Formats: sequence, structure tokens, C-alpha cells
Amino acid sequence: MRVELQLNGRPAELECEPDEMLVEVLGREGLSSVRVTCGIGVCGACTVLVDGDPVSGCLTLAPQVAGREVTTVEGLGGSDPVQRAFVEAHAFQCGWCTPGFVLTAKALLADDPDPSPEAIVEALGGNLCRCGSYVKIADAVRRAASEERR
Amino acid sequence: MTAIGVDSRVTGAQRYSVDAERPGMLHAAFVRSPHPHARVRSVDASAVPGECVALLPEDVADLHMYGCQVRDEHVLARIARHPGDIVAAVAAPTPEAARAAARLVEVDYEELPAVFDPVEAVAPGAPQLHPDGAQSADESVSIGVRPLAGTNVCHRFRLVHGDLAAGFAEADVVVQQAFRTPSAAHAPMEPHGAVAEWDDGALTVWTGTQTPFNLRADLAVAFGIDEERVRIVGAPLGGSFGAKTFVRHEAPLAALARKAGRPVKVVLDRTEEFVTLNRHPSVIRVRIGAKRDGTLVAKELDCWVDTGAYADCGPGVATKLGYAGVGPYRIPHVRVDALAIYTNLPPNGAFRGYGAMQSIWASERTMDVLADRLGISPLELRRQNLLRDGDVFATGEVLHDVQFERCLQAAADAVGYEEDPTGKGLCVLLKGMQTPSRAAIAVQRTPVGYEIRSAACEMGQGVRRSLQLMGAQLLECEPGQIEVPAPDTASSPFDTRTTSSRTTHMMGRALEEAVGDLRAGDGERGYGEVRNGGGLDPDTGQGIASTHWHQGAASARVTVDEETGKLTVEHLHGVAYAGRVVNPEGAELQNEGSLTMGLGTALFEAIEFADGQVANANLSDYNVPAIGDLPRRFTHEIIEREGAEVHGLGETVLPPVPAAIGNALYSLGLEIHQLPITAERVLAAVDVRDGRA
Repeated sequence: MRVELQLNGRPAELECEPDEMLVEVLGREGLSSVRVTCGIGVCGACTVLVDGDPVSGCLTLAPQVAGREVTTVEGLGGSDPVQRAFVEAHAFQCGWCTPGFVLTAKALLADDPDPSPEAIVEALGGNLCRCGSYVKIADAVRRAASEERR
Repeated sequence: MTAIGVDSRVTGAQRYSVDAERPGMLHAAFVRSPHPHARVRSVDASAVPGECVALLPEDVADLHMYGCQVRDEHVLARIARHPGDIVAAVAAPTPEAARAAARLVEVDYEELPAVFDPVEAVAPGAPQLHPDGAQSADESVSIGVRPLAGTNVCHRFRLVHGDLAAGFAEADVVVQQAFRTPSAAHAPMEPHGAVAEWDDGALTVWTGTQTPFNLRADLAVAFGIDEERVRIVGAPLGGSFGAKTFVRHEAPLAALARKAGRPVKVVLDRTEEFVTLNRHPSVIRVRIGAKRDGTLVAKELDCWVDTGAYADCGPGVATKLGYAGVGPYRIPHVRVDALAIYTNLPPNGAFRGYGAMQSIWASERTMDVLADRLGISPLELRRQNLLRDGDVFATGEVLHDVQFERCLQAAADAVGYEEDPTGKGLCVLLKGMQTPSRAAIAVQRTPVGYEIRSAACEMGQGVRRSLQLMGAQLLECEPGQIEVPAPDTASSPFDTRTTSSRTTHMMGRALEEAVGDLRAGDGERGYGEVRNGGGLDPDTGQGIASTHWHQGAASARVTVDEETGKLTVEHLHGVAYAGRVVNPEGAELQNEGSLTMGLGTALFEAIEFADGQVANANLSDYNVPAIGDLPRRFTHEIIEREGAEVHGLGETVLPPVPAAIGNALYSLGLEIHQLPITAERVLAAVDVRDGRA
């Protein structure tokens, strides 16, 4: 089947099976930042924004995003304040989980431009970083918040 | 606004080995044994669709056994020795078709008795995993292996220092304790993935590995070809922590590609990750004796180290576990007996710390029990016995640049240990680096600046950045002018491997030589190589265990809800001695990452087995620390010394975390002997303390 949507700011059509997961379909589109990792929605590495909300690509059926706006880090370009803050804070090691954290942070800051430490921990609670870069990830979110408020 | 280059990790542009593709490639799925121990009678692939290629036992009959320390593995298992052992494989046009086809392969098994505990596996009458050997010392690779014939012991490491009986005779107080640690998953976010391709009898494998040259050597052995006919092309790893070392999925994948006559790719699923390589479970018995004044006089360690179905680097792990358990103390009389033992669990291998965590947990917990019996503060007992500069360790080697006291004091100060030790615990450690080892580097001028080629593998520890920073300083240019390509055995100079926190230490020195060579020559290219000699005699534990030492400490402050057993780590602090720091942010990240993994190890990480089957093979039932699991106070420090050489620090503060937390509980009268420290175990310890159990 064909699914029409806005993908990273442009109209797009995805060719997929009705029971295919979004992570698989986006991977086929060459969006390799959306990474199959746990497969059961607990690690956040395949996070994408659907109409601005973070969802797990491994738990979302591709047809569910029909008519909606899907964003991956490829769509942020590279100079997004959150991406810049992650670089400045050195908030990653192997980088596998980073796109998911960046998108989750973006959604948090859209909702709450000045999150408390507790709000940051709660918002990022569904993203795993096995390298254990959490201290600097939280720092990156705070940096991005103060940058965006400036 | 600062101008910062866009890092491929935040844009999603970074490519890992699972992203590797080759024209015309097929996709693989493995057929795995459901049984812990079973002879493969026959494999029937007649139901597999014609578009697929099946790899069957007869297809690998010409291949040889391989293994990084003991050659005990076949490319396809003729006897499955753990649930998940690979007995056949299928290649198909898509991963889904391959998985579907693999389910159509019928395997007829003859089940054999199995054993899942390292102590039971050495008992008389235990099922034998490798009765036909592949255990002779002649077949051992890279380290002197001491198998015990007719048993499941694939290596016995012994260390003898002084006269143990005489030592214990001098002791006023003797304490004996036994501890257990479970299996654990490395759980790198990126699973194992690779592409294998043959061209005119030569094999190329694109794979995420920490050990490109070891993999090349082992695949050459398996396929009976010259090492020069095998090429390993690396990529940045999406985490590894020891998981992506030596030969894993690459051997059956290469055999499948050989049969298919086309490139074949595989990416393991999360369930398969849990049967690919795990951490060694262990049972460790510690006996330690001291004089009334706290002077240590004798220590005895017996270690049962479960290496699972295949030796892999279990002999090396048992060795390091054995000597790390002696601890950073002056003890005149020591005996260590560490056995690497086969069981029918998935293979266990290198895991951040390489066995050190297991024995440090046991050894440092015992120190607090001894301190209690002596009526001396645990801090004072340690301080009194710590090794100092110029002291001789139990291996007979003299230690230099010794910083244990500084590390321990810093850990104690961080939690205010001397003001009030209640609810607080300490741990201090010594840990060795891969020895002997060798590293080489090639530097070449480019239009941009320079290229630094080596087999150092980027797995998040920041080696690319460290090489750029060290190179920029030596070559007097900007870090951004230095390119650091991924390892490729066809063009990277030889390196032992990217393990044991050795790379910055070794590569930094090789780089200095390479730059010196470039300067002395035409200014266009230079080559540098560093060789560290040494090694331990496996029968006496004497020699050079490590050419430089990783020194560190940890401290913890905890509270316990004694109604529910809920343990809260209020403050965790880690201290690593770095000598000289090359990459400050990278060093901090490695310290924070090690502490985080240590926290998971201490509090909740354990692979649960039921008759050898992994019962929690997913990231929901197997928990790794999330941001909300970090203690409210989560701190660390990196100690430097003017003029010191670079010390590795990639794993120094993981091993001391469990003992620091365990000792904090002990200060509350709660004795924990088994990891992880679950609420059930805390509650049981409360009952024991209060006389209810």
C-alpha cells in the first residue's frame, strides 16, 4: 500500500505493507538514523516525531502516519539548537542512541521551554544510552533550553 | 555562537557495520539449537525455497576449528553446546525471507546431559562439553593455557607468592567468605552485524569489531587460508563493551557467503544478542588473614569462572580475575587458583573490566568483614596495607606511579566517610592492561593535513578524537585537519586489539614515534610501533601482569527501606587515576559510563537462565540503567599527575561500584554475597541480621 505524509518537511509517499512497522519503512527510505534496536519500544533509539510527539518507530505501524508530519534527525539539518547543544555538551559516545535523544529533547522543549531537572529525567526516561552519557545529555538539554530562550 | 563542526552522530549520518551493503548481497539467518547440549544427527533443508541457499554440516566439513585462546569451535556446531548454538544457516534475498526459510530447516538432535553451574561442572561425573580435547596446551593460542584433561576446566591459572600456610599461621584473625556474580549482557545498542564476501579465494568481512587482526587470524585458521587472504574492514561500533571481540557471527556468515557465491549480510536480532556473548558468571571464595594490628599476612582465592560453551577468551579472563582479586595490597603470602570452566550456557567473554569486577566484588567485600572483626575502620585497614611506589606485587613485579592511596582518600572524602561511615562503603582496585601487546601507527601527509592510520576501533570511547588531539599537538596543526579512517586490515598497521583500556596509552606512544619518524624523513610519512613485553606464568602467576596499571576507587552512600528491601543509592562517586588526560570530555564520558554500567551491575543486571535458556532476552526484562536510575548525587573525578604517562581509564570505575555499594550495606549490618543486590536479597539480609532467618 501507499502512505502519504509529510516527511521531514516535504510531501512524501511510502510504499509499505499494511502490517509493517514505521522503523523498517523509514530505514528503506534511507533514513538510517531511525535504528532497530530493542524492537519492543523500550529503548527509544528508533524515536521519530509524529506531529511533534515522540513515538517509537518499532511500535508504530507505517499506515498510522498517513496524513501526518513525521520528523527524523535528518530533517533537522544539523544546525538545530538541540543538535548544537548535544555537540557542545559532548552528549554522546557511540552515537547510536543520539538521534532518539535529540528528538525526544526537541519535543520536551517544545512543550516546556524551561524544564526542571526532574522534567528532563522524566522526558528522557524512555531513551537508553548504554554508553552511559546521561549526565552530559541532561546538560545538553539544559543548554538547548537556555539557547532557545535567548 | 561557537562554530562547531557538525558531528555525524547528531545528524544521523554516522554509519555502523549494520549499515554495510554490497551489490547483489543476500541476507542470512541462523538456525540455532533449542537444546543446551545435543548432537546434531541430521539437518534437512529440503523445505527451504529454491531462491535460498542453506549452509549444512557437509558444507563446512573442510573447515578447521578456531578460537582466540583455545581452538574449540566449529563453524557450524556438530554438537550444540548451548541453547542458541548455530547448527545451520540460510541466505535469502531479504532478511524476512531468510528468517522464514531458517524456520523450515529440520534438525534431528540427540539430546545430551547438560550442566549450567561452574562448580557443578567440575564435580566428578559432570557432563563433559569438550571430551575430545581441543584442550591440549599445544593448541592454545596467544596465552599459555593449562587445561585439566578429562574435566570441563579449559584453563587453570595459579598464583603462588610466599608460603600460604606459614602466612595463615601468623594471622590473629582469619575471615572466609564466598560470593557469586551472575551472567550479564553487554547490550550494546547496535547489535552484531556484518557482510562477508569472497573474491577468487579471498575473504572480505565488513564488521563492527574491537579485534580486527585477531578476527583475521582466526578466520584464516577456520578457512585454511593465509591471513593475507582475509581482509577485515571495520566501522564505528554502536557500543561494544567487549561484546564484539574475536570471532562471533562472522565464521558461519563467511561460510554461507562461500557457498552462495555472493556477498551475504547478517544483523542479529535482540534475542540472539543474549546467546552470542555474555559476562562470565563466577563463584569466588576468599580467605584472608591479618595480625591484630591490621597487617595483612595471607590471602587465598579460589575462583570458579564460567566460560560457557566455548573458551573464547575465558582463560585470559580467569587470569586477570585471579590476580585482580589479590587487590592493591602488600600481602606476603598469597595463593590464587582460578579455573575457566565450560558449561552449557552461551559463551562468555570479554566484558568491560575483563573479570576484574567479579573478584574485586568478592575481595573488597571481604576486606570490610575483616575490618569489622579486627575492630578497625575499613578505610584505615585499606590505607595501612595499600601498595606504595616501588612495592612488589604478588606477581613479583615492582609497581611504579602508584596512586592507590590518593584514589581511596578521594573516594572516602567525596562521601564524608571519615566524618561518619554509616551507610557508606568504599572499594579500591588495581586492574591490568593486555600484556604483552603491540601497537603501530602510520602517519601520512594529505592535502588537508594528515591521516593517522591504525587498527584502533572507535566504539564510543573517543579514540578518533584522542588521536586527533594527540596528533594535532605533535604535528602542530588543528585536530580537524587530521583524518582517522576506520580500521582496515588491508591498510592499517598491526595492533593487538582495542581492549583493556590500552589504546590511548599504546597508540599515543606509537604516534610519538611515527611523528618522529616523519620528521626525521621526508615529512610526508612516518611509522611508529610500540611493543610491550611481559605476561604471567600460568602455573605460578609470576612475571609481568601489566606494563601499566589502572588504579581507581569508588564510594557509595545508601539508604534502605527495611520494610520493602528497597535500596537507594544516594551518592555514588568514582575515582580513576589517568596519569595524563588527553581528551578531557572523552575521559569524563568514559568515567560516567563506567560508573553507570557498574550501577546496573550492582543493582539489577543479570541474565536469568532456566535449564540454560535465557529467560529475559530482551531490553524490557533485562534492565540496563536509564537516566532515572542514576543516584541523585552521581560524581566522579580523574586524578592526574604532572609528567605522568597516559593511563587507560575506559573501565577503571566499573569494577569497584558493586563492592562500594555492598560495603555501604554491610555498614548497616546487611550482608550481601550475591549480585545483583535486589530488594529480595536486601530483605533477606535484614532478616538474617535481625535473627529472623
